[in-house]
Amino acid sequence: MRTPRPLSPAGPLARIGLTYVALVALGVLFSLPVVWMLSSSLHELAAVFAQPYRWRPVPLHWENYARAVTVLPVSRFLLNTVVITVPVMLATAGSSALVAYGFARFRFPGRDALFALCLATMMLPGQVTMIPLYLGFARLGWVDTYLPLIVPSLFGSPFYIFLLRQFFLTIPRDSEEAALLEGASRLRIWWSVVLPQARPALATVLVFTFLGTWNDFFGPLLYLNSPEKATLTLGLNLMKAQVLGSGVIEWNVLMAASLLVLLPNVLLFALAQRHIGRGLALGVGR
Amino acid sequence: MKAGRLLLAGWALLAAGCGPPAAPDRTIVYNCTASTADIAALQREQAGFLARTGIRVKLNPFSGEEKLYAMMAAGQAPDVFYTNAAVRDRLAAEGRLLDLRPWAEADPLYARLRPEVRAAAESIDRGVYSLSNWTHTCGVYYNRAAFAAAGIAPPTSAWTWADLVAAARRLTVAGPAGGRPERYGVFIPAHFIEALEQMNHAPLPRAALLLSLPPESQEVYAAYLALLREGVMPDVRRVQALGMQAGQLLQSGRVAMLVEAVPHPGLIETLTIDWGVAPLPRFGAKAPLYFRSASGGLSVSASTPRPADAWRTLAWLVGEAALYQPNPVLADVDFARAWEAKYPRLRGTGFAEVWRLSEQHAGGDPRYFVRFASWSMMPVMTRLQPWLDRLWAGEATVAEVVAAVPEINAGVRADLARQLRSPGLRPAWKAALERALAEAPP
Repeated sequence: MRTPRPLSPAGPLARIGLTYVALVALGVLFSLPVVWMLSSSLHELAAVFAQPYRWRPVPLHWENYARAVTVLPVSRFLLNTVVITVPVMLATAGSSALVAYGFARFRFPGRDALFALCLATMMLPGQVTMIPLYLGFARLGWVDTYLPLIVPSLFGSPFYIFLLRQFFLTIPRDSEEAALLEGASRLRIWWSVVLPQARPALATVLVFTFLGTWNDFFGPLLYLNSPEKATLTLGLNLMKAQVLGSGVIEWNVLMAASLLVLLPNVLLFALAQRHIGRGLALGVGR
Repeated sequence: MKAGRLLLAGWALLAAGCGPPAAPDRTIVYNCTASTADIAALQREQAGFLARTGIRVKLNPFSGEEKLYAMMAAGQAPDVFYTNAAVRDRLAAEGRLLDLRPWAEADPLYARLRPEVRAAAESIDRGVYSLSNWTHTCGVYYNRAAFAAAGIAPPTSAWTWADLVAAARRLTVAGPAGGRPERYGVFIPAHFIEALEQMNHAPLPRAALLLSLPPESQEVYAAYLALLREGVMPDVRRVQALGMQAGQLLQSGRVAMLVEAVPHPGLIETLTIDWGVAPLPRFGAKAPLYFRSASGGLSVSASTPRPADAWRTLAWLVGEAALYQPNPVLADVDFARAWEAKYPRLRGTGFAEVWRLSEQHAGGDPRYFVRFASWSMMPVMTRLQPWLDRLWAGEATVAEVVAAVPEINAGVRADLARQLRSPGLRPAWKAALERALAEAPP
């Protein structure tokens, strides 16, 4: 009988080391565009495309940030974006959780077919539904208002319905049954028993909805016409037009503005990172 | 008492009904990309326009093809909007654009437009579907200090392609250890080759349906390739991959000469080096054929409820609105002098001479936008461009590109035949397209 050779401690260590090196290399690669944005936002215009590129701007042109917030009515655009983003976040999370609860807990004829249909709507590219949706909203007189950007979120999002349903299936039914025996309604159970246990999944939905809505360019471009209703992303486009108007794109100022728009995304993601990881792992992993 | 109140109410209702009628809504929606500065300027100006004409202009500064199509589908197309040469005729053929000819011919503005602007406005059915609001020529921007240091006299209107090549050789500064040059003599973006073809007297058709590459065009391709092979011009693909604006090459000292649009506000505002601009070089003893290009423009939606007001607004934007003045599309404007007044740093650069030469030796617009009908521009370019990319990369020869022309045209004919079967095509357009296709050389 052969004696198994003892494991060399160098083997796993080397493997871990290589994994870390690969991850760090990938991390650097993926963060390069953001680093370039940061560096360019602090350069003078002529240095943005200088060859060879200087990654460390000397001196630092902080005035680019001041110009980024003064060249356009940023506070107005920020307010408009918040006015759209907050209701969309709440409505998407609420409606998706309600529909997902129905799919997770109720038995009714055609439930699985309905769920499959709900998932199938994810396969439809936005370009296919763009004109019919626009026609509908135009008929309602909602063009150039925020309604086409907010109201659809009241009807759930198929991906989040899927995510939350999967998460709800992992929650034991004991406490719900106890609440039923106590006379609580289904809606009360959903609100007071299920949702508190689904915080990681809800955090994931809220954060991803925030990212999608905050960064949405095409929706506001399509439905908004008045400059005073512009969101931050449309504002960035106006800034591009601003400099194009004189034939010059001030890339350094544009990068400063883009970083400012990006900042809430990064902050929110950093704050909610722990919940998102858990929410995704428990929801999709089932 | 009660009867008295009723009488009073009746009288009030009658008075309201008999009062002066509400002024009809004369708002014209103008959709085009604009900056906040443009928006503010137009809002300031439109107050005067409103007082003079009673027309209120509402600017919608968010534009895009998808948005435009969605608005049209919903019957909410803006009254006046920007169209480029690639989509204008397609929209016109579907009946979505107003033929402006009746209003244009009755308006003194139309007679003030440069001939090439009027020519670019006309489509295959002789309709006028857009008016350009900008036109430009092109020239060779050069670094004066580099010329002086190399002991080369600044280029003049008499210089030739051979002079340009000789200057480019002397201005190219070798890199360390035989690497890439520290400075290239010249950079000519590939889309300006069309202007060089015209300078070499290539017989370029206007609004052609099919591609032709006459010997004069082939000579220019070969000359352009020679600059690349000799290493006096940077690799076009590398410049594109770096995402560099051509002006940055000149500003940063990476090239000593650059072919670009004249006037080019971006270059005017960002170049801090000592620069001048010269006309395109002649090809041998051939007479110069400079050009001005007027492709995109403003159109009016066929569904506008107030076509006369829409035309009045369009005419105001092109011919009067201070935001767009001095406008080079107007023949009676001394554009060179007016532009120099707007940008004093242009004085002494040679800009005025380049512009005036383009007026004296106007060869017409050689660009693909005009050279091909908007029907066939995309079918031609999607097939020709890969060949040109291979040519500039040294992976194909000029002879191979020429040999590919029949195959390219066969594909274009197939595309056009498909377009002819489109149910949305209006009969007049269908007939005009069929006639043009039948007359096109085999």
